Amino acid sequence: MKIEVKNITKSFGDKQVLNNINLECESGKALGLLGRNGAGKTTTIRIIMGVFFQDSGEVLVDGKPIDRENIRIGYLPEERGLYPKQKIGEQLIYFGMLKGLAKNEAKKNTIRWLERMGMSDYYDKKLETLSKGNQQKIQLAATLLNDPQLVILDEPFSGLDPVNAMLLKDVVKELIADGASVIFSSHQMNYVEEFCDSIAIINSGKIVLSGNIAEIKRSYPRNTLAVNSTETAKMTPFIIREFANVTDSVETDEKSSEVIVKLKKAEDKNRLITTVIQNGFDIDGFRVCEPTLNDIFVEYTEGGI
Amino acid sequence: MKQFLKILKFEYLNCVKNKAFIITTAVLMGLMIIGSFIPGIIASFADSENNDSPDGEKNVVAVSNKIFENNSLKAMFESVYPDNDIKITDEDIESLKTNVQNQKYSFAVLIESNTSFKYINLTNGIYDTKTQEIYEILKSAYTINGLTKKGLSAQDAVTLLNPQITYETITMGTDITKNYFPSYILMMMLFISITSYGQLVAQSVVSEKNTRTMELLITCAKPTNLMFGKVIGSGLAGLTQLAVILTTALCCFSTSFTSVPEEVSQYINFPVSTVLLALLFFILGYFMFAFLLGAMASFASKSEDLNTLTSPIVFVLTIVYIAVMMVMTSDSIDSGFMVFLSYFPISAPLGMFVRATLADIAAWEIVISSVIQLVTLLLFGILASAIYKLGVLMYGNPPKPLAILKMVRMQKKK
Repeated sequence: MKIEVKNITKSFGDKQVLNNINLECESGKALGLLGRNGAGKTTTIRIIMGVFFQDSGEVLVDGKPIDRENIRIGYLPEERGLYPKQKIGEQLIYFGMLKGLAKNEAKKNTIRWLERMGMSDYYDKKLETLSKGNQQKIQLAATLLNDPQLVILDEPFSGLDPVNAMLLKDVVKELIADGASVIFSSHQMNYVEEFCDSIAIINSGKIVLSGNIAEIKRSYPRNTLAVNSTETAKMTPFIIREFANVTDSVETDEKSSEVIVKLKKAEDKNRLITTVIQNGFDIDGFRVCEPTLNDIFVEYTEGGI
Repeated sequence: MKQFLKILKFEYLNCVKNKAFIITTAVLMGLMIIGSFIPGIIASFADSENNDSPDGEKNVVAVSNKIFENNSLKAMFESVYPDNDIKITDEDIESLKTNVQNQKYSFAVLIESNTSFKYINLTNGIYDTKTQEIYEILKSAYTINGLTKKGLSAQDAVTLLNPQITYETITMGTDITKNYFPSYILMMMLFISITSYGQLVAQSVVSEKNTRTMELLITCAKPTNLMFGKVIGSGLAGLTQLAVILTTALCCFSTSFTSVPEEVSQYINFPVSTVLLALLFFILGYFMFAFLLGAMASFASKSEDLNTLTSPIVFVLTIVYIAVMMVMTSDSIDSGFMVFLSYFPISAPLGMFVRATLADIAAWEIVISSVIQLVTLLLFGILASAIYKLGVLMYGNPPKPLAILKMVRMQKKK
């Protein structure tokens, strides 16, 4: 299944909040929707979910307009909430039935997902008796009750402790492995890098960057080298002296025991490594420094909104 | 349809399992049970009031008289105060005061001249009508005294002054006097139940918005199903509560009212047809207002906004209630204004109910009014679902009613 958002625009009153948004996500892949607060991520998601109507553009599934009643969608909204005074099991079955499951199936899936979330003991408990993190796990169970083909998670990691975040991470990985299309928005770039093959960065209602993460990173100049060594104190002045004409900067990162060398031209990488080795320095490793997703995010969203 | 039924069942069970709902039902049932003892309690109080002092003697009423003929005056006082022992005396005011103070006399009357008297009591109550009663006695005594002086016998004078006139009222249409009380009580119950159960729907919408359940709900179910399921589910819960309370009332009052005299009970009799009409107009009125209240509540970000948003609707219903009540008390049930109230959809649940129970109208009038209400409530339901979808994800200051309609129109265009 392939979901596509094509040329979506949306205004609230005089304010245009989305301007020609294009996204796509295939089965077994995850798309990270990134953007600062108020950039338009949730509005885009709500349009996909049919909560808001777009002014123009379309949402397609396998090339046809989305029919939300005939595909299984799991949606974790940014605004979390279930019935606080209802028993967890009862309300999960209710939501399962609203999503089109038969009562028995809804009950079976409720038990299965509560077990997967480590929350089986809370089946008969009221939601309000749970901690915020545990309530979020119940919310995730409600999202996944119908074994969705399309999973949309809006800020799924906010409010989770590291252990629960790990659990959620595993669940999302399983969903991707099972062939679900996953769209998720987050500010936590490490999670995005971990699951997502591609990203789309929204800034002020526009897509400012989209594509495969590896390709995006590869598109940046590969002229910065990090050389890991126990002899950084000796190595740094050596590189400065020997490569003065071909480097922009040479710095020592004592925490990681690395010398970071920014070359004028990427072609000089091999010569630099060879020279350092030939001069007898003890090298533990070296790598090309790629920009982090965080760097890319900041670069594309700074000054927006 | 399946989804709607699931929502309806969930909302119904949610309501009837709600602690506040159970407590309210229990309290109202308790009040009905206590209320059923009231006729008995009143009767026992009345008995004890009329009764004589604890040792079995009658309360003494002293009449100090130097003006009228003692025997006929005593007879007149005895006819008005049959449960008291009337003592004709010639005591002065101080002696009377002392004896009333010492509770030797229940009260005392000092006749000063044939046109003036003093009434002496221990406690002067708001509802004490004795001065008026004594005034009437002395007026009669004065007239009889005058007539006997002109040569008429005392017996003839009394007969002349108190002719026995009998009468009978023949009503060709509806006897308002007999239906007035049940109609008034049921109209009041209609008003209270429509507003309170309508508010139940509004509160349920706000609570789903407050707990942020709303976004998940509207992505799982159609807004029309959510709105109709919620309104009908809460309505059925309301009907269940009413049924429980009315059954309790019926059981309790049917036994306690056997002690009520026939001339009183005929006015507090609730005919089945009147109760069924109340049920019909409750259903129509409740749905109309519940849809509107639910739709408006969807714009409330917090419980405090709820009153601001729903008060115009409750205000309209209150105005209708007051207007219908005024028409009832002014005996103008057949006026053009009342006919208008009985057909205008917003006022028809109360207006037509009162006309149907108090005026002599044809069945087709009830049918037409009901159809108008039914069509209106369906339109309100569709409008409410559209407003609901817009409102539920809107936080911050609630928009004005005109702005809401504009948004609905824009949404429809899209």
